[in-house]
Amino acid sequence: MDGTANGSLSELPDEMFSIIQSTAHTLSPRLARLSLPGRRIIDTPHYLANTSRGVVPHITQDTFRRDTSIAGVYVALEDFIERAPRKVPPLYQFKPSDGASPLRKFVALQDDALLVLGARRTPPVIAPAANSNTDTTVSICTAVGFRQMKVDDYAEEAEELKPDILVGLGDVPYGRVLGNKRVERATDRMIQWMQEHVALRDERKDGHQAKLFAPLLPVECVKQQFYADCLAEELAKDISGLALYDLSTLEDIPESLAHLPRLGFTEPKTPHEVLQQVALGLDILTVPFIGAATDAGIALDFTFPSRQILNGSGPQPLGVDMWSAEHAVDLSPLSKDCQCYACSNHHRAYLQHLLSAKEMLGWVILQIHNHHTMDLFFAGIRQSIARNSLDEDVHAFSKAYESQLPEKTGQGPRVRGYQYKAEGPGESKKNAVAFKHAMNDGKEKLAEATPPAEDVDAEDLEIKGFAEKEEL
Amino acid sequence: MPEQDDMVPRPLPSALTFELASRCSTTKARAATLHLPHGPVQLPMFMPVATQASLKGLTPKQLEETSCRLCLNNTYHLGLKPGQKTLDIIGGAHKLQSWPHNILTDSGGFQMVSLLKLAQVTEEGVRFLSPHDGTPMLLTPEHSISLQNSIGSDIIMQLDDVIATTSPDHERIKEAMHRSVRWLDRCIEAHKKPDSQNLFCIIQGGLDLDLRRECCREMVARDTPGIAIGGLSGGEAKTEFCKVVDTCTGLLPTHKPRYVMGVGYPEDILVSVALGADMFDCVWPTRTARFGNAITDSGCFNLRHASYAEDFGPIEQGCKCICCKPDSEGGLGITRAYIHHTAAKETVGAHLLSMHNVHYLLNLMRRVREAIVEDRYPEFLRTHFKKLYSDNPPTWAVDALRGVGVDLLG
Ligand SMILES: [Zn+2]
Ligand SMILES: [Zn+2]
Repeated sequence: MDGTANGSLSELPDEMFSIIQSTAHTLSPRLARLSLPGRRIIDTPHYLANTSRGVVPHITQDTFRRDTSIAGVYVALEDFIERAPRKVPPLYQFKPSDGASPLRKFVALQDDALLVLGARRTPPVIAPAANSNTDTTVSICTAVGFRQMKVDDYAEEAEELKPDILVGLGDVPYGRVLGNKRVERATDRMIQWMQEHVALRDERKDGHQAKLFAPLLPVECVKQQFYADCLAEELAKDISGLALYDLSTLEDIPESLAHLPRLGFTEPKTPHEVLQQVALGLDILTVPFIGAATDAGIALDFTFPSRQILNGSGPQPLGVDMWSAEHAVDLSPLSKDCQCYACSNHHRAYLQHLLSAKEMLGWVILQIHNHHTMDLFFAGIRQSIARNSLDEDVHAFSKAYESQLPEKTGQGPRVRGYQYKAEGPGESKKNAVAFKHAMNDGKEKLAEATPPAEDVDAEDLEIKGFAEKEEL
Repeated sequence: MPEQDDMVPRPLPSALTFELASRCSTTKARAATLHLPHGPVQLPMFMPVATQASLKGLTPKQLEETSCRLCLNNTYHLGLKPGQKTLDIIGGAHKLQSWPHNILTDSGGFQMVSLLKLAQVTEEGVRFLSPHDGTPMLLTPEHSISLQNSIGSDIIMQLDDVIATTSPDHERIKEAMHRSVRWLDRCIEAHKKPDSQNLFCIIQGGLDLDLRRECCREMVARDTPGIAIGGLSGGEAKTEFCKVVDTCTGLLPTHKPRYVMGVGYPEDILVSVALGADMFDCVWPTRTARFGNAITDSGCFNLRHASYAEDFGPIEQGCKCICCKPDSEGGLGITRAYIHHTAAKETVGAHLLSMHNVHYLLNLMRRVREAIVEDRYPEFLRTHFKKLYSDNPPTWAVDALRGVGVDLLG
């Protein structure tokens, strides 16, 4: 790794990942460029949009293409294989005629968007202890409950789906602290799993393989030394990147692995934590709070570097709670000066209306805006690193904004997925709505409608001009 | 050809022009262009229902892409949320939802009566108890029009006295018809923006054809810019439904749009068009999408059924909607299997299917119009019913179409 910055695209080697600017320190931010055949070039640090069942929640694929600039997505295989192994999952049977990635075609992902596939969602639903991993299987959560996925199957099938980047299977103990014994066992497993996965790739050699990212255990590298050594030596030519599940792993990444891109499944809770993780040297982040803010009805509202002028008013909120009735007649955009589709076409009043009417479009609009905000946030981060001013900018940001996102006051979208909390098999029926083919359109209209909310009183109705109170 | 009522002076200003393009030489079907304040629309047409100023998760851009140029909002809902005051400040429903095309609103009465068990209709208006504290409230024709004036919809509907066509109480049906005529007068009187909003009357009279005739005469004389046939989205037999539509269109002036309210099943629309109706609305295409149902030429399919899990064909072969078109044609290439995969688990599945279903109905109307213009609508009807029902078309459709010179069995 050399620390010199280089600029224009034409100078770049054919490498997938080229580091443009970094310091010798392990724990320091860096600028790089990720370029994969057929995909748009992604300058890092950047983020991947989180998906559920192959789609960025709320955003249909045409809106994704037309009205967002999302550069890449992270997809979890566990969203597609609920009937395995009893039945071959439909996705595995899908063979696009042109030899294209079955996964990309199936979820109708934009051609030039980066497609990253891993086994589990981020954050994953944590498996009950009874379902912990074994030497040959990993616990996953599907629409019909927890399942054991065979390590061999994962390697084989995930390769077949031809994502751009494939995160190898790790013995990651989500939500649990590992004892030394357990770390040792996990290290052994991961060495074996990665060796087998690589061997399988050698057999396949179809010339159009996904870039393989190796997962690291959520502990310091020194604690998984044998595995790290294996990646750096035996598997060096087969591994194109690292997947990290804990910041402690960044602390002592060996020099021999430092050139690899670092993809974080580190669940930052706030923009401040994103900055912290970037400052420690993560290159590509998954950021679950974007979707969480959307579902909470919060329009993210921050810029980096901060443009806030501290005028004694104290730190500003990181987002605007769009449920608040104060927006009811506010024709301004969700966020001042924002150029996103949502802000250039809609105003706060409409969004507030949609949320309080529980219309699904509300969350669509928020999701577009929130991802746009994140695009700009990361662009600001990269500029700041390029200027060598990240430290000061982060400091100013921490002063300018509150430490936490605003509390959620309204209700989330009506449909909650099985993905949100641990549920036993069969419980996912929660979402199923019995369909009755109503012949009577009148009845359908009624079903569409919510009767006046309990909290609407006569006074309100009269003030609104809906009807008048009768004198008794 | 000059129509008789062309001679009648027009007391009510109109914000629309109805331009008749063609008439079917066999049936009563017509093709026309309706010029409305927010642009022209082609008749016959289907109007999707954006109840609370949004259509089931679709952005206005997506709705526009389905080729929709006129959608419905419900006055009852907008009156409650965001409410008249807010609508006035924002400047109406077009501005609220950033929809540059036309909007039609209902009067709010139908939903009021249907949603509130204790609602009671009196001469003054619809009386109901506030759901919150039981305070007696009153919705009058004047309120309804005032609300619709605030909404700013291009087509507004009179408040009518709606009762089920299946009601056995003939006196009540008669009373409702006459009251609807009286309320029409109050609506016309209360209408503050006839230059930018078109008030449609609503023909009532249940299934009693004499009452319907009388109502037509009374309301046509009041010369509203458009005419709706109301009270037909209930559970009446389809044969009765067809008789009412047929009778009314026979008495309505040629040069005005005719809107059959709350009708949206493809076969109901096709027959109604043959009987001389022009405009239709229904929540069904979007509502049914939420449950995984895809509307196609060969019927309605529930893509949540396990048999579609591995079906990698488009929702409907040959469909030109954004979902069904392959990427090579600029579409998304969405498969039935993917809708199955997301249905009921991610809202996007329903959004995609809504786009297909709305596109399906709008496109069906485009095909209908083309057939009328090329004077081959009878053939179109025969082909279409054959696709839907093979050799067993429903009796009501056979009878209704025979009445306008089309033999489905021939
Ligand atoms: Zn925005
Ligand atoms: Zn389609």
